[in-house]
Amino acid sequence: MNVAILRLALAGSRSAVGRLAGIMAGVAIGVCLLLLLWGAADGLAQRDARGAWLRETGGPAYQPPVDGDPHAASVPIPLGPDTMLVARPAEHFRDSVINRVDVAALPDTSARIPGIPAPPKPGEYYASPALQELIQETPADQLADRFGSFAGTIGNEALPGRDSLIVVTGATESEIRSSNGGAGLVSEFTTNPYGDNALAYRTAFLAGGLAVLFPILLLISIVSNLGAAQRRERFATLRLIGATPGTVARISAAEAAVPCLAGALLGIALSALVRPLAAEIPVNGTRVFIDDLATDWTAAAVVAAAVVLSAMLAAGQRTLGAGTGPLGVTRAMPEPMPTPRRALPLLAGFLCLGALAFAAGVPELRSPWWEIPFMVGGFVLIMAGLVIIGPWLTLLVSRAGLRFARSAISVIASSRIAATPSATFRSVAGLVIAVFVVSIFAGGSSALRNVGVPAAVPGVLQPASVRTFIDPAASPDAVDALATQVNGTAGLHATVAYGSGGYGTDESGDQIYIEAAEAVWLGLTEAPDAGTAVLDAGFLNAWNREPVVASASPAILPELTPFAIIVHTDAAPESVDRARTLLVRSRVAAGPPMSPLDDAATGSTRLVAGLSALAYVGMFVAVSISAISLAVATASAMLDRKRILGLMRLMGMPASSLRRIVTREAAVPLLTVLLLAVGLGFLVAWMMVTSLGPAYKMDWPGADYFTALGLSLGIGAAALVSTFGLLRTSTGMSVTRFE
Amino acid sequence: MNNSLALLGLLQRQPSYGYDLKHSYDRYFGTEKALAFGQVYATLARMARDEFILALGDETGGGPDRKQYRITEAGQERVSDWLFTPDVPSENLQSNLFAKTVIALLTDDDAARLLELQRAEHMSRMRALTKLKQGASILQVLICDHGLFHIEADLRWIDLTGARLAQLKKELQGA
Amino acid sequence: MNAQAQTAPILSARGLRHSFGSTEALRGIDVDIHPGEVLAVMGPSGSGKSTLLHCLAGVITPDAGSVTYQPGPAVGQSVTISSLNEAGRSRLRLTEFGFVFQFGQLLPELSALDNVTIPLLLNGTRRKDALQRSAELLDRLGLQDNGTKRPSELSGGQAQRVAVARALATAPKILFADEPTGSLDSLAAENVLTQMLQLVREAGTTLVMITHDPRTAAYADREILVRDGAVAAGYQVAP
Repeated sequence: MNVAILRLALAGSRSAVGRLAGIMAGVAIGVCLLLLLWGAADGLAQRDARGAWLRETGGPAYQPPVDGDPHAASVPIPLGPDTMLVARPAEHFRDSVINRVDVAALPDTSARIPGIPAPPKPGEYYASPALQELIQETPADQLADRFGSFAGTIGNEALPGRDSLIVVTGATESEIRSSNGGAGLVSEFTTNPYGDNALAYRTAFLAGGLAVLFPILLLISIVSNLGAAQRRERFATLRLIGATPGTVARISAAEAAVPCLAGALLGIALSALVRPLAAEIPVNGTRVFIDDLATDWTAAAVVAAAVVLSAMLAAGQRTLGAGTGPLGVTRAMPEPMPTPRRALPLLAGFLCLGALAFAAGVPELRSPWWEIPFMVGGFVLIMAGLVIIGPWLTLLVSRAGLRFARSAISVIASSRIAATPSATFRSVAGLVIAVFVVSIFAGGSSALRNVGVPAAVPGVLQPASVRTFIDPAASPDAVDALATQVNGTAGLHATVAYGSGGYGTDESGDQIYIEAAEAVWLGLTEAPDAGTAVLDAGFLNAWNREPVVASASPAILPELTPFAIIVHTDAAPESVDRARTLLVRSRVAAGPPMSPLDDAATGSTRLVAGLSALAYVGMFVAVSISAISLAVATASAMLDRKRILGLMRLMGMPASSLRRIVTREAAVPLLTVLLLAVGLGFLVAWMMVTSLGPAYKMDWPGADYFTALGLSLGIGAAALVSTFGLLRTSTGMSVTRFE
Repeated sequence: MNNSLALLGLLQRQPSYGYDLKHSYDRYFGTEKALAFGQVYATLARMARDEFILALGDETGGGPDRKQYRITEAGQERVSDWLFTPDVPSENLQSNLFAKTVIALLTDDDAARLLELQRAEHMSRMRALTKLKQGASILQVLICDHGLFHIEADLRWIDLTGARLAQLKKELQGA
Repeated sequence: MNAQAQTAPILSARGLRHSFGSTEALRGIDVDIHPGEVLAVMGPSGSGKSTLLHCLAGVITPDAGSVTYQPGPAVGQSVTISSLNEAGRSRLRLTEFGFVFQFGQLLPELSALDNVTIPLLLNGTRRKDALQRSAELLDRLGLQDNGTKRPSELSGGQAQRVAVARALATAPKILFADEPTGSLDSLAAENVLTQMLQLVREAGTTLVMITHDPRTAAYADREILVRDGAVAAGYQVAP
C-alpha cells in the first residue's frame, strides 16, 4: 500500500480525532466486558466444579434384602478403611441454606473430604470462613450449638464462592445411621459439576451470555462506522487521486485497526481494574472469588484479535460495498429491502420449542440427547430470529405508518424508516435483545414465586413453625425434656404429636394425636375443647395447603408413641433459628427440622432465582451498552444528514419537531419488536419452567420485571435525549452554507 | 473606441507633448495597432479648435511634436461626461470601456463607479431582452439569447475588472 | 420603479451588520424590498449576499441593525424580525416565507409529493388537503408524472421545480431563493426560472433571489449588488 496514501487517510482533522477516540472507547468497553464475561463463564464453571463434592450422596449404606424377601431386615454395610458415612441434612439459617455434611469415619480412614485435612471427629466441625464468621457473630443458641466445636476452616479449593455457607460436622456412625436423612457410603467425592438442572442452568447461562455479548458486538459495529458520511467523501478524494477500490478498502480496514487495537489493549487493562468490583456482584447467592474472574493471556489475546479482525473486516467490507467512485457516491446506495424470508429463523426457533413443548407431555420422547440441542438451538434461533426479522417488521409498520400519517413528523420519520429499515432497527436491536432476555428470566422467576413463603392459613401448618419427626428409638422422657426446654425459651412453644407407632415404622398410621388444648398453637381453629384431638398426618407436610380439621378422639396420649414435635414461634427470625438449633441439638430427632419457611431458600428454586439475579446484572450491562449504541447510532444518523435537517430548520421547522422525528425513528422499530420480544421471552421461559418439572407453573411477572422493563426503556429514552443537544447544534444555520 | 477622448483623458493626467502623448497612447491602448503621428496631430488640432485643450507656447522649431498641450476646464468636463456615461451595450463597446477604465485609473477618478454604472446599463439591457423573450417566437428567442450571451460576456468582464481594479491601478500608476 | 417606491416596503433592512468571528460579513446594509417585486441580489462569492438573505429571512439575527417586515398596509401589522426570538422567527419563516436553495434540499427518503406537503403539514393542514394542494402545484410545474419518485430519481431541474413547489405550497408572502439555478444547465435553469416567476407573479409573491449569474438576475425587476458586505454605490436606497 502506498505510504503517502495511508498517511493521507490517517491525516487527522478534528472530527477524525473524535471519531478515533469514539471507536477506541467503544472497543475498550466492549473488550473489557467480553473479558469479564469470559472470566465469569470460566470462573462459574470452576466454581461449580469446586462445589461438586457437596452434591455427593454416596452409595447405599445398607445391603439390600437377600433374595428380594420383603420381610428380611436389611443389613448395614460396615465402614471400611477407605470409606466414610455421609449424611446431608438440610440446614437453614434465616433465609439461607447451609450446606451441612455429617460424616462418620474410622479414625484411620483413607477417604478424604475436599478442603480439610481429615474428617472431623464426632462433636467437631469444619466450616467455611463465611459460615464461621456468621457463627461467631450469632448468639450460640441460634447457630453455633448445632455443630459442636470448631476444628478449622475449609480451604478455598473446596468452596464455590466467598460467601458459601458450608459445614462438615463429625458424628458417630450410629448417629448418622439413625438419622432419617438418608446416609450414604462415600469413598470418593464426585467432580461432576452439574446437577439435575443442567439443562435449565446451561440455557440460562447461554441466555445471559448472549444477552451481554450481542449488544457488545453491536456497539463495536456501530462505533466503527462513526462518521461514515464524511469518510465517504475522503475516500472519494483518494479514489480521484488514483487509489483502487481495493486500496481504499484496505485503508479503511487499516484505519479501523489502529483505534480498535488501542481500544482492545485499554479494555484488557480496564478489565483487570474492574475485576474486584465485578466480583462483588453476588451470583447464585454468593460473591465469586476475584481469581475466578481472571482470564489468562490467551483469552485476552483471542478476544482482542477477534475484535480487531472483525472490525477491520467489517470496515473494509463496508467501504467496498459502498461503491465509492472517484466522484464520490454518485447516488445514495439504497439499502436492500428486507423480505419476508427474514421470518424463517424465528419460525425455525418456534418449531424447536414447539417440539420440546410437545415432547414434554410424552415421557417416552424425553431425552436430554435431543432436548438440550433443541432447547439451546431454539433459544439461539429465536434470539437471532428476533434481530433478523426486526427490519422487515419495521418496514411493514413504517409503510403502514406512512399511509396513515397525519403530521409532517410522522411522514418524515416513517419515510426515513421505510428507506433504511435495517439501519434504523440496528440502533435498537440491543434493547430488543435485552428485553427478550429479561422476559425469559422474569417468566422463570414468576414460576418460583409460587413456591415462596406461604401465607398463614387456619388448618394448615403455620409458616413460622418448625417441626421434626421423632426417632422411634428415643425415650418419651427425652421427648418431654425437649418439649420442656423449648417451652422454657422465649417466643417458642412446643407441641408433641403422637402416633400409633413411631415415625417410619410399620405401625404408624396416617393419623396423629395431640392434646386438644394444643390445637390453637398449631393454628387449628376447628378443634374439640378438651381431651385428645386427632387429625390427618398430612398436616405435617410443609407443602400441604388443604386445611385440616381436628376432631375429638378417645385415645389416651401416654399410650401412644411420640411421632413429631412441632415448635410454634413468634415468627421472629431469631426465634425460628433458636427452635431449629434446639431441635438439631436434641438427640431425639429423626431428621433435620423443617419449616415452611425453608422452601423459600431451598433447592432448584434458589438455583434459578440466583440465575435470574445474574440475568438482571447481565440485563443491566446489556441495556446500558444498548443505550450507548442507540445514542451513538442516533447521533451518527443525525450527523450524516445534518445538512438536510439544518435546511428543514431554516425552512421554519422548530427544533422540537426534529427531536420528535428522531424520537420516533427510535421508538417505531423498538415498539414494533418489543411485544414480540416480550412474548417470545415468556415462551422460552415457559419451556424452561416446564422442563424443571410439573411442580412449577408460570404466573404474571412480578413488579421487578416491570421495573426492569421500565428501566430499560428509560435508559434508552435517556440515551436518546442525550443526543438532542447535538441535534440543536449540528443543525444550526452554519451547516446550510454552500462551500 | 473614441481616440480623441482617450487622448484628452491622457492629457488630464499631466500636460504633455504630442510625441509623448502618442507613446503613452500606444503603451496603454495601442498594443494591436499603434496610432499614426498624423492622426494624433489632427486630433489635437481638432480638440484645440473645440477648446478642450490649449497649446502651451512654442518652443524651438514649432513643429507639432514640440508643442506641449494642457487640458482646459471644458476638456475636463468632456472627459468626465465620457467616463460616467454608460455606453449602450454593443459589440464595439469593449475597447471604449477599457479606455475609460484606464483613463479613470490614470487620472485617479472613480473607476469602480464607472464600471458599476456600465454594469447597471448592461443589466437593464439584459432585463429588456429577457422580457422580450416572454411569449416570443423561438427565432426571436434565439436572437435574444445571442444578445444576452454577448452582454453577459461584457458583464463578466466588467465584474472581473471591478475585482481587479486595485491591481490594475497599481500597475498603471507604477508604470 | 417609482411606482414601487410609493408603496411601503414589505421588507426593510437598516444598518445591518454581522460578523462571523473576526470576519465582517455585513458592514452596514440598507435594503428596501417592495411588495410583489422580484429582486436579484448579486455579488461575488464571499460578498455577504447569503448572510444578507439569512438576516432578511430571520434565519440569523444581525449583530446590529433592524429588519422590519410589513405584510400589509396596516401599521400594526409590522414585525421587527431582528428582535424576535428563535421560536418566533421559525414560525414566521414557516408561515410567511418560502425557501429554495441551490441543491440537496429535498428529504431523500420522501417522494416528491410528500416533500411538497411538509410545510403544509407543519402548518397544520390536514394531510389529505396537503396532498391535493401539492399535487396541483406539481401539475402546474409540469411534474404530474413524478409525484411518487424519490429525489434521487429526479433530474436536477425536476428536483428544483419540486423545491419551488414546496416553497410555494404555503402561499408565502416572500420567497427567498439562494442560487436556485446554480447547479443547472442553461435550458433547465431557464425552465425553472420561468415557471417559478410565473407562479410568483400570478400570486403576487415577493421574490428575493440571490444569484451571481447575470442571465438569472435579468429575470428580476431590479437588482442590487453586494460587495465586501455593503451595497455597491449605484444600488443604494435613496435616503
